[in-house]
Amino acid sequence: MTHPDTGLRADPGSFRDPTNRVFHRDGEVLRGLDDRATADWRALAGSGFFRALLTEGKVCGTEEVAATPPWSATLRHERIPFVSHPYEWSFGMLRDAALLHLDVLRAALDGGFTTKDGSAYNLQWRGAAPVFIDVGSFEPLREGEPWAGYRQFCQTLLYPLLLQAHLGVDFQPWLRARVDGIEPDQMRRFFGGARRLLPGVLTHVHLHGAMQRRNSRATTTDVRAQLRDAGYSRELAAATVRGIEKLVRRLDRPPGGSHWSDYQRTCGYSAQDRLAKERFVEEAVAGVDTPALALDLGANDGRYARIAARHAGYVVAVEQEPAVVDALYRALRAEGQRRILPLVMDLADPSPGGGWRGVERAGFADRTRADVVLALAVVHHLAIGRNVPLAAVVDQLANLGAPGAALVVEFVHPEDPMARRLLANKPDGLFPDYRRDAFERLLAARCRIIRRAELPSGTRTLYQAVVGG
Amino acid sequence: MHLAYLDAGSGSLIVQAVVGGVAGAAVAAKLYWRRLVARFRRQPTDQR
Ligand SMILES: C[S@@+](CC[C@H](N)C(=O)[O-])C[C@H]1O[C@@H](n2cnc3c(N)ncnc32)[C@H](O)[C@@H]1O
Repeated sequence: MTHPDTGLRADPGSFRDPTNRVFHRDGEVLRGLDDRATADWRALAGSGFFRALLTEGKVCGTEEVAATPPWSATLRHERIPFVSHPYEWSFGMLRDAALLHLDVLRAALDGGFTTKDGSAYNLQWRGAAPVFIDVGSFEPLREGEPWAGYRQFCQTLLYPLLLQAHLGVDFQPWLRARVDGIEPDQMRRFFGGARRLLPGVLTHVHLHGAMQRRNSRATTTDVRAQLRDAGYSRELAAATVRGIEKLVRRLDRPPGGSHWSDYQRTCGYSAQDRLAKERFVEEAVAGVDTPALALDLGANDGRYARIAARHAGYVVAVEQEPAVVDALYRALRAEGQRRILPLVMDLADPSPGGGWRGVERAGFADRTRADVVLALAVVHHLAIGRNVPLAAVVDQLANLGAPGAALVVEFVHPEDPMARRLLANKPDGLFPDYRRDAFERLLAARCRIIRRAELPSGTRTLYQAVVGG
Repeated sequence: MHLAYLDAGSGSLIVQAVVGGVAGAAVAAKLYWRRLVARFRRQPTDQR
């Protein structure tokens, strides 16, 4: 969708607020502002709170550049290394994203500003650190008005957190299925009876829903005026935000463990195997010339993502188990890791495109052109566990890499105890092609194999290959 | 009138007063009281 004359490409995810739009030019992330947004930006750029947020890294780097017509002003933003969506985050990630949003809002309110919206999509990640990206969302505060973004905040941040913290329901499918998040009217059905008394539920879910129903015919213009007349103040707005923040801090029940949480203890690897594998992976990644993006598929506790991060600019660690990702996120956050992004995703059901025309939120494949793809002890899960034809698995691994990318893949032989366990759940002889020689042939058809190694246990083979080579 | 691009939701605006502690609840009460008074004031003319 690049414009032939100007080289500008409108960002398909940026259209909801017509006063400012994100577009791309020569790999730069730019934001065009109309007259009104320009006035807001000038005020914002001169404010102390905004400079402090930038310095603290809470808001993505932003500077004004020469205006691109037809916009009155143009901003250039720091590039986020890998764009992710809230339904790919773990509970801890969504919670930290929510806390950052509230933190940014509180700073804005203190500085006489507010944010126009409150969406989870206002946030992105630099590794395990959230960052507020929607600089177009700041506007001067109008005295006497509550936060316009509260409803969005509830639907895309608070409600998903309540579902997980109070009921143990994974929130990701809800956010993935509904671009605007969960409505109060749906939420309240989860929280009947005594559950009404769980923190935050009575007010933010039931009362909120009831107020919406009772005021469905009142316009927001009228209600804003009524609230102002009744004495709603800036202090009240700040108190409300503090209250929500206190609630979100209380919602810290990490999701329960999963079968995979204990993988490193139960994986059946010998120490020798692990050492050989670590060395192989390290050498493979180190051999790539300044890889910008590495993917670790089936990342589990991130052991190999960390090895990749020694050499790659950025690593995306994909793992299907939300609890495993959450544990990884918490560990990375504690380490202050800024170059490994953990994501919840099932490789057999990767994020599709979502929102308007299915492009507002880009699907995983459209966002991913990695320079290194690690697929370690995961092929058997797809080929045996999920019945994906081996050729299709190999194709997909190659497709996630840019041409010339390094693919590091571990093939678990059908005789390996872990593969045998998966095979035991399927009828005998269902996967006659799940063999080492067949795998190698398929890999060679898509890639150039440059190195292979047998692990000491004798039932696993590592390959290093060049995509399309 | 400066309107937001996002429909903030009328109920979502009011409920924020209610969750804002005692002072907020007072604002919400005042809003409802005024609505009630306005309705009674209107009624005689409405019924003509
Ligand atoms: C055998 S472990 C391998 C972990 C690590 N890559 C290693 O080599 O030590 C397999 C991991 O892949 C994850 N996994 C299995 N199927 C998956 C899928 N369809 N999508 C994403 N992750 C998956 C599991 O949850 C588990 O953490």
